[in-house]
Amino acid sequence: MDLARYRAALRAWLDADADADTVADTGAAPTAADDLNRRVVRTRRILGRLWAADLGRWGWPERAGGLGGSPLLRAELGATLVARDLADPGVLAMIEVLAPTVIEAAPADRAAEWVPRLCSGAEVWCQGFSEPATGSDLAALTCRATPVGGDPATASAFVVRGQKVWTSLAQYADRCVLLARTGPPEARHRAITAFLVDMDDPGITVAPIEMVNGAREFAEVFFDDVVVPADRVLGARDGGWDLAMRILPYERSTCFWHRIAYLEQRCTRLAAAAPADDRAALALGEAVGAVHTLRARSRATLHRLAAGETLGPETSVDKLLVAAAELATFDAARALLPGTVELADDPVAAVWRREYLYSRAVTVYGGTAEIQRNIVARRLLDLGPEG
Amino acid sequence: MDAAERALLDASVQTAVADAVARDVPVDPVLARLGWPAMLSDEPEAAVAAVFGALGRTGARSGALDDLCAHALGFAPRPDLAVVLPAFGGWAPPGTVTAGTVRVAGLGTARAATATDLLVATDAGPVVVPVGAGTVTPIGGVDPAGGFHAVRAEWPGVTPTPDDGRAWAAAVALGQRAVGHEVAGAARTVVDQARDHARTRIQFGRPIAAFQAVRHHLADAFVAVEGLEAALDAAAVAGTPVTAALAKAAAGRAARSVVDHCRQVLGGIGFTTDHPFHRHWTRLLVLEGLLGTPEALLTDLGRGWIAAGGVPTLVDL
Repeated sequence: MDLARYRAALRAWLDADADADTVADTGAAPTAADDLNRRVVRTRRILGRLWAADLGRWGWPERAGGLGGSPLLRAELGATLVARDLADPGVLAMIEVLAPTVIEAAPADRAAEWVPRLCSGAEVWCQGFSEPATGSDLAALTCRATPVGGDPATASAFVVRGQKVWTSLAQYADRCVLLARTGPPEARHRAITAFLVDMDDPGITVAPIEMVNGAREFAEVFFDDVVVPADRVLGARDGGWDLAMRILPYERSTCFWHRIAYLEQRCTRLAAAAPADDRAALALGEAVGAVHTLRARSRATLHRLAAGETLGPETSVDKLLVAAAELATFDAARALLPGTVELADDPVAAVWRREYLYSRAVTVYGGTAEIQRNIVARRLLDLGPEG
Repeated sequence: MDAAERALLDASVQTAVADAVARDVPVDPVLARLGWPAMLSDEPEAAVAAVFGALGRTGARSGALDDLCAHALGFAPRPDLAVVLPAFGGWAPPGTVTAGTVRVAGLGTARAATATDLLVATDAGPVVVPVGAGTVTPIGGVDPAGGFHAVRAEWPGVTPTPDDGRAWAAAVALGQRAVGHEVAGAARTVVDQARDHARTRIQFGRPIAAFQAVRHHLADAFVAVEGLEAALDAAAVAGTPVTAALAKAAAGRAARSVVDHCRQVLGGIGFTTDHPFHRHWTRLLVLEGLLGTPEALLTDLGRGWIAAGGVPTLVDL
């Protein structure tokens, strides 16, 4: 399946989809919480229908229930859905990050069982990495997985105790890709193991956190002696850090392409709402310019991924460009729609306000802008060690 | 041309241009020996990237932009033909034709000093007039080494080659991409200069590259250049005036960002004529506005999108 044929087939299917009107965005939901619920539901629904129609299976390997083909097909799928307001880029991002991880790290038969559930929207997964004392310094995590019987090599199960935080979509999640400590803290990244944990296991408590925009997109997750079978270890025991590092390329490629579609869709809304004056024109031009530069960069990155290249620290450039583009888009919203974010209560204004406020998180989540600059300095500019 | 061949072309042009600059001999004959501007017909993308990238990296003055614009306007490039560029900051055709008389006020490159003829884009189409039709005055400005000229001319009895504006739009787009590559080359050189300085300048007993504040300046400069190069590649893939204008706008923004971050890293030496940084800094001040300042380009594009009520997809996956 080549990209042009896939694009045509996908668009034709969506154009003909009788159900599309009932799921398309018809304006703002009354509350931020309802809005997030709706976006999650809508995303799962369209993914399910596309999976059943086979269009959702392209770009995933056949051994994991897909139909094979280039990851560009997945990039195209998500971008098309987001552009049509049929899917939420944040929900799609979780899939784009976690499904490849499981395909790489889980036993083949488990991957073949789990991946279709995730990619078809039958299940939602979350990523349990950050902790209260472990933000940028992920290797300091303290959530502990203790082997039953004491020997991690032969244990049939682990007992997990600790806390995660900033866990996106945790309250919706059926499963969690969890990083936990399986050795002494001073071993840092050498004693971390990844698990796939069922969120309905006894001992797991999810406490959603309300963000400044009213949505509860992420949560605290508490693990109180949660028993996780040893066959839920992803990758090697004590190999969790390697797995987390292997996730990196997936966090910076297809899901960025989906996010670009979201930003461009918002730029189009701004173009439709903007007054016809030069100040507005420049504000819009700045935003589209920043998003276009990101699109150009991300396009090149995706083609490298599709060609089989291993993505590395150079994707920190993409991440910094995402931040610049998202900030520019919502700066333009404030400039073009004066008073909308600040002092309007109509449903359309509520969406701009929510999204403006959320846009300010873009330099923090998924690796802060400072960490990205550190990586650029060390790995791409070869500036030697810091300090 | 595959990636390896392009890298080879980039390297050979870069070496030849740098050698010419080091020996202080004119660059255009060197480019001619490498196959410029004939390669514009066969491999325009690779040729523009290689030649203008090298001009930017070295800070050489050249008439390559004249050749490029002549080619895009349908005229055979020659060493004695100078193209009158739009006034600084804009991209409108610099000439007007009234009752068979062409009047032009615009910019010339280094080529204008030695050319015998001027190629003038007008609202009615391009015309060629003799240099004697007007005045060609060297501009000192912020970057006297750039070789820019003020060109004014008035010449009766002309018959412009009919053009509905598309040839000029194509010339502007190709020119914007060329200047974008020149900016990218200069910006790469500036980042290299600041990086070398940060790694060798010792303060508080260590290279200043060890300090996070300095590293972040350099990282931001690097990201700006990477973004610009991606925008230039996208403009080559899409081949549209809009993506060329966006690439030029990105070039203007990147020029400012790179110069500001790198000058700060260079400290006092960045303000001197002892360090080569100043040559690229002043050149970038000019290139930022050549064929459109970022503000003018983005305002113009924004106006169009507001009128259309949306932003189309500019380059597909």
